[in-house]
Amino acid sequence: MAEESSMAAAELLRQAELLKQGAEARLYRAVFLGRPAVVKQRFPKRYRHPVLDERLTHRRTVQEVRSILRCRKAGISAPVVYFVDYTSHCIFLEEIVGSVTVRDHIASTQETHPNPERELEPLADGMGQILARMHDEDVIHGDLTTSNMLLRSGASDLVLIDFGLSYISALPEDKGVDLYVLEKAFLSTHPNTEALFDKLLKSYAAASKKSPAVIKKLDEVRLRGRKRSMVG
Amino acid sequence: MHVTQSLELFPDHKVTQVLFRDVKNAAELRQSAVEGKINGALINPTMLVHPFQVLVAANKAVHLDKIGKMKTRSLYSEVIFNLSPTNNISEAFKRFGISDGDDCVLVVLVQSTDESQLLEEITAKVDGRQVPVEEISSLSDPAKIKKLYKVSPLEEKCGTLLDAVVCRMATKDVM
Repeated sequence: MAEESSMAAAELLRQAELLKQGAEARLYRAVFLGRPAVVKQRFPKRYRHPVLDERLTHRRTVQEVRSILRCRKAGISAPVVYFVDYTSHCIFLEEIVGSVTVRDHIASTQETHPNPERELEPLADGMGQILARMHDEDVIHGDLTTSNMLLRSGASDLVLIDFGLSYISALPEDKGVDLYVLEKAFLSTHPNTEALFDKLLKSYAAASKKSPAVIKKLDEVRLRGRKRSMVG
Repeated sequence: MHVTQSLELFPDHKVTQVLFRDVKNAAELRQSAVEGKINGALINPTMLVHPFQVLVAANKAVHLDKIGKMKTRSLYSEVIFNLSPTNNISEAFKRFGISDGDDCVLVVLVQSTDESQLLEEITAKVDGRQVPVEEISSLSDPAKIKKLYKVSPLEEKCGTLLDAVVCRMATKDVM
């Protein structure tokens, strides 16, 4: 019986359009209950022991939907969860129709605009505020990049996506690492944006109640890297 | 006037919703449902924001039925249970099932093949006026819904009430 239902998802995905394939999951576009949807399927990793694989996959699926709900409850936009299939590890999410990633938006603005820095300032401000709100809720995204933030079409409304590596923590250390990951990703995908990222951090610091400890940790993490030293 | 949607995940299943107003025999209907004489779910529409909410509940019920993990005894009780934000079965029936004095009822059918006969069989039992399912939004009680699902004004800033409700229904088993 269990196989029959995972096959239901597999059957649907066979006809769906593959949007993206990552190391962790595949992303499909499909219609679900008559609405445009995105299906994130965590496929089995053959290189892991089956029992471990099942547990990790299950936990990440659960973690992802929990963090999405927690963010939404705090007023941070994230896709609506329509359905979760824990047998085939599929999450059925709302499709943010007509959105662009922040990554593409920054890249195109840099190409076409005479003064991109100026133009992108409000966006950096908005990103800082959203991340501050998320961290104040103790949600650590775990994979902050400009590709994991969407801009709704025609609006300046930011939507956070891909909570696959997220978890709940109140530690300034974890929040600092979260920002460090974003800094690395941001500066390496978008050349000459140091000032812009600074703007983002300033807006984060202004918006978050607990920012001083986090920024202090960020400075520490910059010196040593993402992993804590295990010496001593 | 009824609305039918097939389930993309289970192509041989479709969900039909029929809405009635001015229902006079709610007590009798509830009794037959309890006795298992009605092959459908009878839902109190004041707790529903939109027909989509019912589709989400029905899809989850069919899925759990297929993997043998239903929490309640039948597919139709599972549909009602899935609408509720809590894991309390009797509370779910109380809030989302019909009560004796109700004058509106939403009949939900999950049909596996083309069984239009079943639809007529059930609608014949309801002593009421059939209205378009879209009227559900005018019957719902947003204040009560927000209270039951614990939707804060903050959350409504990033989405509709329907979004908030559907999210809770879809994730309640791991919260």
